[in-house]
Amino acid sequence: MPPMTQSSTTARDRGEAAKTAPPGSPPSRVRRPNRWLAWGFLAPVTIYLLAFYAYPLYRNVELSLREYTVRSFVQGGAPFAGLDNYRTVLTDATFGPTLAHTVVFTAASLAFQFTIGMALALFFHQHFPLSGTLRALILVPWLLPLIVSASTWSWLLNSDSGLVNAALGVVGVDPVNWLTSPGWSLTSVIIANIWIGIPFNLVVLHSGLQAIPTEMYEASALDGATGWQRFWSITFPLLRPVSAITLLLGLVYTLKVFDIIWIMTRGGPTGSSATLATWSYRLGFGNLLPEFGPGAAVGNLLIVMALIAGLVYIRIERRQQLR
Amino acid sequence: MTGLSRRRRLAAIVVTALAAAAGSACSSSADDPAGGGAYVVWDPYPQFADDSDWVALLKKCGTSAGATVERTGYDTTDLTNKALLAAQQGNSPDVLIVDNPVISTLAEAGALTTTDDNKLDVSAMEKNLLGAGQSEGRTYGVPIGANTLALYYNKDLLTAAGVDPATITDWTSLSAALTTVKAKGKKGITFSAIGTEEGSFQFLPWFWGSGAQLTALDSPQAVSALTLWTDWLKQGHAPNSVINNTQTTSWQEFATGDYAFAENGTWQLANAEKLGFSYGTIAIPASAGGPAPAPTGGEFVSIPVQKNTGRYETSQKLVTCLTNADNLLTTDTTLSYVAPVAAVQDRQAAADPKLTVWVEAVRAAKGRTGDNLGTRYPKISEALWTAVQAALSGGKSPREALSAAQAAATTR
Amino acid sequence: MTTSTPRAWWKTGVGLVLTGLMLFPVYWMINVSFTRDQDMRATPPHLFPTNGTLDGYRAVLDQQLPYLGTSFLVGLGTVVLTVALAAPAGYALAKLRPPGGPALSFVLLIAQMIPGIIMAMGFYAIFLTLGVLNTLPGLILADTTLAVPFGVLIFTAFMSGIPDELLQAAVVDGAGRLRTFWSVVLPVSRNSIVTVSLFAFLWSWSDFIFASTLAGGGDHQPITLGIYHYIGNNNQQWNAIMATAVVASVPAAVLLILAQRYVSMGVTAGAVKD
Repeated sequence: MPPMTQSSTTARDRGEAAKTAPPGSPPSRVRRPNRWLAWGFLAPVTIYLLAFYAYPLYRNVELSLREYTVRSFVQGGAPFAGLDNYRTVLTDATFGPTLAHTVVFTAASLAFQFTIGMALALFFHQHFPLSGTLRALILVPWLLPLIVSASTWSWLLNSDSGLVNAALGVVGVDPVNWLTSPGWSLTSVIIANIWIGIPFNLVVLHSGLQAIPTEMYEASALDGATGWQRFWSITFPLLRPVSAITLLLGLVYTLKVFDIIWIMTRGGPTGSSATLATWSYRLGFGNLLPEFGPGAAVGNLLIVMALIAGLVYIRIERRQQLR
Repeated sequence: MTGLSRRRRLAAIVVTALAAAAGSACSSSADDPAGGGAYVVWDPYPQFADDSDWVALLKKCGTSAGATVERTGYDTTDLTNKALLAAQQGNSPDVLIVDNPVISTLAEAGALTTTDDNKLDVSAMEKNLLGAGQSEGRTYGVPIGANTLALYYNKDLLTAAGVDPATITDWTSLSAALTTVKAKGKKGITFSAIGTEEGSFQFLPWFWGSGAQLTALDSPQAVSALTLWTDWLKQGHAPNSVINNTQTTSWQEFATGDYAFAENGTWQLANAEKLGFSYGTIAIPASAGGPAPAPTGGEFVSIPVQKNTGRYETSQKLVTCLTNADNLLTTDTTLSYVAPVAAVQDRQAAADPKLTVWVEAVRAAKGRTGDNLGTRYPKISEALWTAVQAALSGGKSPREALSAAQAAATTR
Repeated sequence: MTTSTPRAWWKTGVGLVLTGLMLFPVYWMINVSFTRDQDMRATPPHLFPTNGTLDGYRAVLDQQLPYLGTSFLVGLGTVVLTVALAAPAGYALAKLRPPGGPALSFVLLIAQMIPGIIMAMGFYAIFLTLGVLNTLPGLILADTTLAVPFGVLIFTAFMSGIPDELLQAAVVDGAGRLRTFWSVVLPVSRNSIVTVSLFAFLWSWSDFIFASTLAGGGDHQPITLGIYHYIGNNNQQWNAIMATAVVASVPAAVLLILAQRYVSMGVTAGAVKD
């Protein structure tokens, strides 16, 4: 850690300690162990991070900066290539459409997962018989290996023998080539991904709801607030930190999704459902002759996208705290 | 204070667990190919459990080579990455069995020994099968069995429709048969055109059968092959789902009994016996008639590079045992494959006359990485399946799709 | 609480419908697990496994049960390690505001973006040196990386909602930070501990990539690898694959429901006490 941050934060810390210290107690007694202990609490996770994430992250950066062939991957000695791999990827004709798919996939998945998850969380937050059991059951999709859940979706969406088209046929709608037409494949994988993401949003938001003290609702009930008013004036503001982290994590996980798409469509037909994550996988591992360099470069572009989202999150958080 | 000591205790537990784990790993020789009499074998047959004939054969061959065998079956797509990673870390298995097009990739990586180093005798193997394991005059492995593609047909359905499968000898007669079947309210043909190597594998008999070469993806012959498939989809002779079908999905479609034909492989023979109708097989016809060359499938046994070159001798004995005539017969019967040795092929055909078609198909088949394409093949294949997908999904005309493919295959 | 008024039962009905909709694909999986090969691609598809087969289950019950045990052990190990690492960190980031805290949260966020397969490759090299390839602790260590960043961020978000007065009261009572953490923060955070544990368990339960790369060769293989018994290099036995998934999810689902019961009781009790 650079000494500058250290000294600047010490000042902030002192102010903080003075603020939190109860009146009458000597400030030094609380402040000193405070900073010490904070890193004591963080030490296990920091060591863990260094031990297990640093090397893979370094590997991913290194792979993208060298010109790896299968031979140099195994034998070593790949020449340093600077930003060549990034240039290759960025100028590739598939980059533009793939980036667009990634944005659409992520935005649509997040919006629906969050809204549906929130609605279900509010619904199941009411206590009614079996509410707990049913909520636990909704988690079952998460117990399934992705190869099974994604394959089940491609089963349901099959053009010829899929249940969805059979149901559409019953109501007189022409069959849709969900997975095999360039116009629909992205929609299909988004639908499957929303389904997979709902339980996550439900559970996290539901525990957020449980953390809101019931007295607050009781008070507003006395004021005669309707359910809708209560949601906007109490639930939503109090749930904001949890909502923010849910959305941020959802964003990170959605950007990363590749197995669902890979199993359902292989990113096809003709790249119409390919995202940066599937492209990265196809380049690095989905081919008989892997191209590790460009594959890692695409992976790192994804990390940069998550980084930007993280910065936005921190900015918003700061503003909230200042208020 | 209780908190602190608890934390210390936790740390102690973690450390102990790690140490215990490290200890247990050191005592097991499986992770350390350089030590003891244990020889590590990786294969792409996760379907075979420890009590299967295949594992029994491995153990038996290990014993006769004076070694114990530690075997693991991996998912086939996963095995390529795993093999590269292990080679990078100097932790390769002693014997590695992989899908044949992977051999040229691993050979390019310098991860495999040649027959010069490991002294394997490959002279009995059929030349067209061995080709997939050869590059610039060196041989990197032995085929353990071969498979290829043919057309399965539904005998009951064709009889009812009045189509004699014997008359199907070229594309025109095949398309005519599909039209007849469709007119009777049945479905024509199913295959797999998925956007992976599997899709290229299935398209190649038609591609080669048109007279096209992998070095010129945009030739008029190639366009005619892709047009054949595209027209089948347009006319409803083949289902739209083929664009996303794996070979298993396509087989399940055929198994419903609604389809007259299915393009599928030797490995389905065992499942074919379980169909609810009688079936037959014909060779995939070439455009102008006669059987089209189909690509060879099947796995190769290879001996990866080791730091301790003294291990090759035992590995060589093990592999020789696995690929001797009797054992090939057993293995290839369990896998529903055709043996890579002519004499054993004859024994297979004699034991089961239904295999004759397949033996002939394998003899006429071509390796994908052959013609000295080697590691250029993956690039070409990716361009090819992309073109097939583009044309079948209606994104591009066959001609446009294949010109784009040729451009993609020749850059870099 | 009003639990059995007619209105509440009406809500149960809606809840059942919603759950049914969410679980329809799971039903489809169960349906396929009983289906014969020749009916799998029937047009139109069969809504019920008429002419069903038990072949899939026969294969699974013969071969898969040991894998379930491994999955449970790995899942529980992952939960314990994740909570042990993440809860103190979440407390520190939320309440003690150490210098460099935001930077650490940021690193955690990025850590999650590393593709699983790259992580697995990194682990392979590390584990080979440590000698923990193909062992249970190795797989637990690896699976924990799936949940630790999530855990820290979730704990931070939830623990920042704990009223400062509560903690100050403890300090006034003379408790150190560790005591405060152990006897005030953790009990109040039961809810978030459960959430984190749940996902840590679910992630390790459904992980394939780490299992395949790091435990593929050992005696300790989780259920996700067991499924690959039915995925040969040319052929897949879909009824057995689906049957494995069913057999694997039933005990875990029961566990979820039981945990859920325990938790909702605990939470209500905790709320009353506060």
